[in-house]
Amino acid sequence: MDDRRTTATAAQGDLPRGLPPRAERVARAAIEAMLADEDAAGRLILPPTATCDRAVDWLTHAAGVASGDLRRGLRVLAFFLQMLPLVVIGVPRRMTSLSLADRIRYLEALEAHRFGLFAMLAMAFKVPMCIAAFEEGDELASTGFDRPDTVTRRSLLLAQTSAMAAEERAEEQEVEAASRRSGAPANGGAAA
Amino acid sequence: MNKDIPGSDSIVVGRKLERGFDTACDVVIIGSGAGGAVAAALLSEAGHRVIVLEEGPYVRPDEYQNYKPSDSVRRLFREAGLLTAFGTSGTPMISVTVGRAVGGSSLLTGGVCFRIPSEVHHKWVHELGLDELSEEALQPAYEEVERRMRVREVPVWMRSRSTQKFVDGAEKMGIAMHPIRRNTGVDCEGNARCNFTCPAGAKRSVDVSYLPSATAHGARIVSDALVTGVVVENGRAAGVEGHLLANDSGGKSHPFRVRAPFVISACGTLHTPLLLMRAGLGTRSGEIGNHITLHPASRVVARFDEPLNGWDGALQSVYSDDFAAEGIKLVGVYSAPNVIAAGMPGIGPALRRRVRSMPYCGVFGTMVHDEGGGSVRPGLGREPVLWYSMAPRDLVRLRRGITILAEMALAAGAREVFTSVIGAPPITSVAEARKLEHASIDARRIECMAFHPLGSARVSNDPRRGVVDQSGETFELPGLFVMDGSILPTSIGVNSQVPIMSMSARLAWRLAERLTRDKASHARARKIRRVLAAASEI
Repeated sequence: MDDRRTTATAAQGDLPRGLPPRAERVARAAIEAMLADEDAAGRLILPPTATCDRAVDWLTHAAGVASGDLRRGLRVLAFFLQMLPLVVIGVPRRMTSLSLADRIRYLEALEAHRFGLFAMLAMAFKVPMCIAAFEEGDELASTGFDRPDTVTRRSLLLAQTSAMAAEERAEEQEVEAASRRSGAPANGGAAA
Repeated sequence: MNKDIPGSDSIVVGRKLERGFDTACDVVIIGSGAGGAVAAALLSEAGHRVIVLEEGPYVRPDEYQNYKPSDSVRRLFREAGLLTAFGTSGTPMISVTVGRAVGGSSLLTGGVCFRIPSEVHHKWVHELGLDELSEEALQPAYEEVERRMRVREVPVWMRSRSTQKFVDGAEKMGIAMHPIRRNTGVDCEGNARCNFTCPAGAKRSVDVSYLPSATAHGARIVSDALVTGVVVENGRAAGVEGHLLANDSGGKSHPFRVRAPFVISACGTLHTPLLLMRAGLGTRSGEIGNHITLHPASRVVARFDEPLNGWDGALQSVYSDDFAAEGIKLVGVYSAPNVIAAGMPGIGPALRRRVRSMPYCGVFGTMVHDEGGGSVRPGLGREPVLWYSMAPRDLVRLRRGITILAEMALAAGAREVFTSVIGAPPITSVAEARKLEHASIDARRIECMAFHPLGSARVSNDPRRGVVDQSGETFELPGLFVMDGSILPTSIGVNSQVPIMSMSARLAWRLAERLTRDKASHARARKIRRVLAAASEI
């Protein structure tokens, strides 16, 4: 059953950017570590640049349409994410200066930290950026999702569509019978 | 400022207007979500002139149906989906989902439709004395709302294999499961991403189930219209004023004013209190903005041996209220694959490995019927600040719900279960699940969501204990009504769309009758004045 279209996503060019370049750099360093993978030999490999761009762009455009309070909040969070390696893994460097392996170690430690606010700091960047990152291309394919994109509709089996049609017919008959019994649709609650 | 709303479109895109307006109508409604849309439709169908002012943008259904989840989040969710309730150390940080568009949060629901449980109605009538909010009184409203929204039970064949695992686990533990009812008619294809709009257009959100009737009966809707204040004349509400928003980042453009003898605030639990405070209300009861309930929810992801492809099937199709006495509801859930991937634990290669296992993963959810503890206050800018202090009992319920879900997943054959405790290792046995439940952990490590903020301007029959009376009119400012989730007097423990719409329907029917009576009496008065004038001339 399908002349169904697949995409037509909204362009993000018309949305304002809400994070300053410094905060965007922090977000980029974080998403590079979050999405890093390893090759067959177990060496760390950086995620594709386009994927990181998509994730960072999404975050900064999201901040752009949000309130000033939220934008300020994200900037503060980016500052803490940048400055906490010393506290969390004992490395006296900013996050953007850490090697990829150290960045992964830092973010893992942050996510698993017993102090809840640290764990939340990691999640505040991870969840929104990963939603954008895993939405397209190879990243979406890596989830095992078997449609070309998240807008493409599910292909229903013929048996399922027949069941739907039968249900629809029964439903229509029921509504017709009900309206014959009761006349016009009620707004019975008007009184009282 | 122009006198009328420019143009002849029934839905006017405010950001495209080149000037403001100063116009009049019978009823002005602030907000076009579940409460406002129902009120707009029923009042305009009754022959009254209605204007709806919506702060969010207008996006046509055929456009938003093509949105990817990240587009929906950024363009239709308030605060681009980053809205969070701030809590104390004993409270998880709760991500709150609220819509901001023509159609409001109804665009973003999972389509789940519950009526308010009988025991909640019973409590309202017998403990709070709200005799007009009995189950019987709302029955016609429930029926009307469910008819228009085409509420149907989700058939068994529409369940995903993820949900089937959930049902299997429940069966093994002796937990009863029931089919969920949803507002998708028979058109649901099981795309499992309802929260980010339905690509099949099956979900009967209010922009397709109510607002078309409102506009067909003469109502006008202005999007991008931020109401900043209620106009008060002679001690009663006489209209609203505000300004149009120029763009997505909220820049101001032109001012507007709408004069009306009846004003309905339907801008939701988080924003209605702010509007009421700006109108000078709150001095009498001190109740505005307090007692917010959220229904905090959480989920677990369980990995099985066989592929489930949980994205094939209805987003939600079964639930259990076996633990209702403990304040816990269990629901089968799923979401868009990228959203689930984003919530998988781990960083770098660990995250990648878990994401690759997603076809084998099922997702189960739990929701807490909370005691409240939320409050909303004005922020520095245009958005309010939501505080939420979770009652210790609710935190216990939440952790218990997570444990039950993990046990169900293990009973269904899961190899490992990722709970919503951030950074916690995956669970592989019931003993581990129970150990985690009782472990001393910072509550803020529990990832939590809320979709149903309710109760910031509660209905009461006593002005000292509530904000509005049983007809929805504020105690302190005649002519100003509230018809949204903020008036619910207690937590309801179920998805709030049908309850809000049904309450709004009932209140709108009453207001329509009152308006009709008022118009008739004004007409009689005018006629008498004319006759007297004619007689005096003679």
